[in-house]
Amino acid sequence: MSSVQSNAPSSNRRLETFSYDDQIVRWFVIATVIWGAVALLLGAVIAFQLADWRVNLGLPWTTFGRLRPLHTNAAIFAFCGNAIFAGIYFSHQRLLKARLFNDTLSKVHFWGWQFIIVSAALTLPFGITTGKEYAELEWPIDILITLIWVVFAVNFFGTIIRRRERHIYVAIWFYIATILTVAVLHIVNSMELPVSFLKSYSMYAGVQDALVQWWYGHNAVAFFLTTPFLGLMYYFVPKAANRPVYSYRLSIIHFWSLVFIYIWAGPHHLLYTTLPEWAQTLGMIFSVSLWMPSWGGMINGLMTLRGVWNKVRTEPGLRFMATSLTFYGMSTFEGPLLSIKSINAIAHFTDWIPGHVHSGTIGWNYMLVAGILFYLVPKLWNTELYSKKLAHAQFWLATIGLVFYIVSMWVAGITQSLMWRAMDSSGKLLYPNFIETVVKIVPMYWVRAIGGTLVLISFIMMMYNLYKTAKKGKVGEEEKFEAYALDDSSVEKEASPHRKLEGWPMVFAVLSLIAILVGSAIEIVPSLLSDKYIVKMDVIKPYSPLELLGRDVYIKEGCYLCHSQTVRPMAHEVVRYGKASEAAEFVYDHPFQWGSKRTGPDLARVGGKYNDMWHYRHFYEPREVTPGSIMPRYTWLFNNKIEYKFLVKKMSVMKSLGVPYSAEEIQNSVMNAQAQAKTIADGLVSSGVPAAIMDKEIIALIAYMQRIGVDYSKAEAP
Amino acid sequence: MKQSVLSHFDLPWLPVTGLILFVVCFALYTYWTFKKSNRPVYEQASLIPLEEPTKVSSTQGRN
Repeated sequence: MSSVQSNAPSSNRRLETFSYDDQIVRWFVIATVIWGAVALLLGAVIAFQLADWRVNLGLPWTTFGRLRPLHTNAAIFAFCGNAIFAGIYFSHQRLLKARLFNDTLSKVHFWGWQFIIVSAALTLPFGITTGKEYAELEWPIDILITLIWVVFAVNFFGTIIRRRERHIYVAIWFYIATILTVAVLHIVNSMELPVSFLKSYSMYAGVQDALVQWWYGHNAVAFFLTTPFLGLMYYFVPKAANRPVYSYRLSIIHFWSLVFIYIWAGPHHLLYTTLPEWAQTLGMIFSVSLWMPSWGGMINGLMTLRGVWNKVRTEPGLRFMATSLTFYGMSTFEGPLLSIKSINAIAHFTDWIPGHVHSGTIGWNYMLVAGILFYLVPKLWNTELYSKKLAHAQFWLATIGLVFYIVSMWVAGITQSLMWRAMDSSGKLLYPNFIETVVKIVPMYWVRAIGGTLVLISFIMMMYNLYKTAKKGKVGEEEKFEAYALDDSSVEKEASPHRKLEGWPMVFAVLSLIAILVGSAIEIVPSLLSDKYIVKMDVIKPYSPLELLGRDVYIKEGCYLCHSQTVRPMAHEVVRYGKASEAAEFVYDHPFQWGSKRTGPDLARVGGKYNDMWHYRHFYEPREVTPGSIMPRYTWLFNNKIEYKFLVKKMSVMKSLGVPYSAEEIQNSVMNAQAQAKTIADGLVSSGVPAAIMDKEIIALIAYMQRIGVDYSKAEAP
Repeated sequence: MKQSVLSHFDLPWLPVTGLILFVVCFALYTYWTFKKSNRPVYEQASLIPLEEPTKVSSTQGRN
């Protein structure tokens, strides 16, 4: 019989003394709490902005389109990121009985990550964005993320090399998968050509860009919000419950199945688009298959609490952990459900999706982080939790707030979907004006905003509780420990292949990488071969210089966050918007702008639908032309001058990416853009608009709006 | 037109390869993991988070 014998005493083994670096864990804990509050505050603000447009405050940097990416980046990378690093650095050292590889690397990691977050906060509100959801940060920050991630990886794997525990515990497997996969996702999705220091264009276009982006977007959820948290769960739940994990063997099956299957599921974000049918179906099947490992993990976590359920009532940390596992189960049931094509047809683009996302991020991530912090802070500051009562009040407030959020979004989502698709017996839409469907769900936006505010208040209560806990404790002394050094005596010579593998971290890491690369390669093949299946259409022409500048304004203002640009092949969409979208339409779209949510109507066929004056009035005061609209005003577009400075460079970069601009078109781009601006401005001036409008951003944006979908409309009906 | 274009883009071996790979790997690691002889080993491995190394001394730290 073989056994885990890494630290079994032996007369031949060398006893070593070491200490843990807990100071870096404290720093990451403090950063987690601060950024968590910022992320939730931003979330509450944008929730109120959707309930009442006046909360946009009329300023460019406080508008929904600019704050929403800041909220998502703050929640995912600042709050969850710092929580992951705190939890990993604490558990990694203890599971390996080794101090972190290098204290300086730990500090570089901490300050580098905080610098990235501050850079995001200083760029996104000013419209400096790539226009790709959850990957909005511009190229210099992308490079910095890569460098800091490498620092993290070196520190992490270096610690493994210096370990005193032969067996690599399952939590560390999840950390390894996280580190490798996030690196692959980030690098592949961030391939872009710079125009200037703060502007770049995605190297991919249209369908290709969409596939890479949602392969990244879905797996950012999988490998940033799921796998590291599962690793933390496998360490902190047993620690807090003082019981081993329910089934270690189940955790192994959980790990390999989850890592292998998750990476395939990205295309469920692109169902009914112009992505090849087989890729969509594959994404759906693997999404449904995810039920199996996800629920395996949830059951394993919850069953670990067997025998200590009484403590769940009294210990805040355990209570939050048990609830987080419950929400993990709920959201990983709902996710595969939503990826079934017939259900996705109803739910996609509606508010059901943000409801689902928040049941994961608040229910799973926030609750688990709260549970971990209630375990960690008293340990790190050598004291007891300041107030259990306050923690229980926080728990109820967060849970009630989350229920408000989820239920209101279910109601809003299903209402929207039913209204969008309602047709009478003659095939006419029952609600032809999109705004009717918006006005109907505004009360649900209020409920969501109230729910979000309750969650924010609960978080502030936790901040106070943890602050008081830390204040009454003290950092104290760095303790020294003893453990046997690893040597050949801990190698299990008779063990099975998988047992041996668990002691070979690098081989294990390579196999994990292969597991995620198989799915990735199969998903990305359609993207690489897109030239073969997208038949170029002669009628589809590149954007004019002014339209290109207008498209940049569209991206800068985050219009894609509320408006899609892809018509699904469904009767009600074709009747409402026009011809279903075709892959060939998007071949010059760097980046693609299909969006993922329809707070406002789809814009794929908006070109020529309204006149220039309608757009002019709409951007100045949306309610003037669409009573009841919740869209913010974009008054600054009427004052900001069109940025011609980088136009030649922009067109050159586009040419490098395959857009067929001629040398003459690039050389004369500024002149041509000004000529088109004059034509549009002249038309507006003749209707009474001041002549000074000609060189303002609104003109470029109108030029782009009037171009969207126009070329394809000229093509023959399929 | 969309359907006719897509019909020329058929790579059924890709998902099938992925499926076979997954099933084979799943069968192998499930076999290894649930092999009777491995049970005590994994039971012991599950105790790793609960093990605390021996404290030896303390030095003055930060406040």
